Amino acid sequence: MAASKKNPMSKALVRRETIAGYAFMLPSLVFFLGFVIYPMVQCIITSFFDATMNREDIFIGFANYAELFQDTVFLGALRNTAVIVIVSVPVVCIFSLWVSSVIYDLKGAACSAFRCIFYLPVVTGSVAVTVVWKWMFNNYYGIFNYVGTSTGLLDKNINWLGDEKYALGCIILILLTTSVGQPIVLYVSALNNVDQSLVEAAEVDGATKIQCFWRIKWPQIMPTTLYILVITTINSFQCFALIQLLTSGGPNHSTDTIMYYIYYNAFKLYRYGYGNAMGVVLAIIIAVLSAVQFKLAKKD
Amino acid sequence: MKKRKIMAMALSCLMVLSAVGCGNDSQGGNASGSATNTNASAGGGTTSQGSTQAEGAEITLWTYPIGKWGDAATVDGLIASFNAAHPEIKVTVEYLDYSNGDDQINTAIEGNQAPDIVLEGPERLVANWGARGLMVDLADLWTDEAKGAIYASVESACKGNDGVYYEYPLCMTAHTMAINRDIFEAAGAMQYIDEASGTWTTDNFIKAVKAVYDSGQANVGAVYCNGQGGDQGTRALVNNLYGGTFTNAEHTEYTANSEENIKALELLLEMEGINYDASIVGGDEINMFCNGTLAMAFCWNVSQEKNNLDKISFDVLPMAFPSTGDPKLCGGIWGFGIFNNGDEAKIAAAKTFIDFMANDEKQAVESVKASSYWPVKDLGNIYEGDDLMTEYSKFVPYMGDYYQVVGGWAEARTAWWNMLQQIGAGTDVKTAVEEFVTTSNAAAKAQ
Repeated sequence: MAASKKNPMSKALVRRETIAGYAFMLPSLVFFLGFVIYPMVQCIITSFFDATMNREDIFIGFANYAELFQDTVFLGALRNTAVIVIVSVPVVCIFSLWVSSVIYDLKGAACSAFRCIFYLPVVTGSVAVTVVWKWMFNNYYGIFNYVGTSTGLLDKNINWLGDEKYALGCIILILLTTSVGQPIVLYVSALNNVDQSLVEAAEVDGATKIQCFWRIKWPQIMPTTLYILVITTINSFQCFALIQLLTSGGPNHSTDTIMYYIYYNAFKLYRYGYGNAMGVVLAIIIAVLSAVQFKLAKKD
Repeated sequence: MKKRKIMAMALSCLMVLSAVGCGNDSQGGNASGSATNTNASAGGGTTSQGSTQAEGAEITLWTYPIGKWGDAATVDGLIASFNAAHPEIKVTVEYLDYSNGDDQINTAIEGNQAPDIVLEGPERLVANWGARGLMVDLADLWTDEAKGAIYASVESACKGNDGVYYEYPLCMTAHTMAINRDIFEAAGAMQYIDEASGTWTTDNFIKAVKAVYDSGQANVGAVYCNGQGGDQGTRALVNNLYGGTFTNAEHTEYTANSEENIKALELLLEMEGINYDASIVGGDEINMFCNGTLAMAFCWNVSQEKNNLDKISFDVLPMAFPSTGDPKLCGGIWGFGIFNNGDEAKIAAAKTFIDFMANDEKQAVESVKASSYWPVKDLGNIYEGDDLMTEYSKFVPYMGDYYQVVGGWAEARTAWWNMLQQIGAGTDVKTAVEEFVTTSNAAAKAQ
């Protein structure tokens, strides 16, 4: 302010720059408002209505939310989603950290080859990945049953995707293969950016490799870990394509997830209000968990 | 600074232009279409052709893969014939599949971009979109002459509970099952089959499955229940075994909890060689039948045999479902419906298209042939000399009640395969069936 009083021209300059800045932001802002904020607001509003196709929406207050917590299928989907998150988030983080710490200091071509291999399922379309896994899990001629029965590990074929005991585990396994690619690439990059002079100094002072990792490298890759935790949590909560393509939530609702149940209610039963209420609940859960992760990471 | 100003101005102009572009598009999705649309009135969707002119209209046809109606080359030929007679109407075609076709149409409906014509069956055109008030009344196509010609059972399926005609039918079939004749013959199971009529009794079905299983074929058949794909096969199997029904005759209530159906479901559960398989749908079952993994397919019709000829290396024998009396096969009826997009010219053009495809003396035969099914009225023997079609035509008289127009159909279909999954996982059959009926009847009442 003092500067602007001393030089009135700078105020005009600041205003012009501000206008230019907003003008540059405008296209992104319009898309952000139109495709992110507006649908979010619309989702929240619709969740208070009994909304369906080709009929005026009826305001029903919190009835959709009340119904949610009496809906056993939704509660089952919530439990399945929680299992997926609880299992896949730590496994993805630990596995990708382990792989990255092994490959990050390999020579260029070898490191790139490993990164490509682990990233391949990420860039391959969900449908293609699913088709291959579906074949491998096939009850009659899948490779898992073939190897299992040939080696004597299995007495008889297991219906991997058709048996409640195994179906969710199979989904989590596929999810892991499609989820580790990005964290590995990020960790490799983060580990390469660790200040080597600190590592060398610690080694000179007699630190072991494990001490070097936990005392020097781990704190420096913490922001990457936090990012990976948050995106893996969100991706796990939003597990949908695998379920739709492989199990349709079955057998006997054992692989229903909240995202799939939202899709089912909104697109199969046309219960838009109810589906949106689930979406709001899912968003709240993800937001709370992400906030907790940020908080814990900050403490560390 | 000037450069920034110019850039900011250019960006603003870009945004305004894109907004205008969006605005135009949202007014009907045909903004880029020909000027021939300009005569279309934006009226409120009356149902008769009246004096509205179809001339110069541009209409969209979305078709599910009903035989060759899912094949662009075939449909292009049909459209070319139409345009030879009606050059003033331009038809744009979009091809749907059964995996996400419904989602595509529902998304289009919500975005006010629904197609003008859709080719599918009464369960969608009548019981779903028709019941929701999205379709045009086709009463003026259902002339007395048409009513007299089209089979009565087909006519009733094309009408909603409100008596309005939402579909004009083109073709029909009776869904069958099929057996691998080579495997059955090797197992000595052909003695249980009336090959000439393609029928068998429930007792003989049990004996045949046992014989095939005992011959070393561990997987004789699969009660597939991963999803709704091909579920007409499992419904027909269960209903036929002991003469059960899926709904009442009025199509107002689900009756799958009858003693006959429970007995059938228990029988299938006990039979060695028949698996309740929650990992496959009808399409997977067909593939497994065609590659010899399964000895019988419950999801079958003439199209499956035609489409899979190059994959099949054995003799396929189409069969009616085993029953204690006359088999009652699940029917498929396909025809045209018109979405009420509020444009009288387009509605009139769409009716002209349907009338040509389904009623024109020469064209109707070609339209039906493209479906690989049978006409819904007497068009003579359109498949003369075609042995395969002749073989399958014997099943058409076995077509049973077309109950798929019952309320709550979407929820009931899901509840059906969920019920089969429960039974396969060990839930008591009666409990699972009661839950199915309760869920489905609640959905029917809510609609």
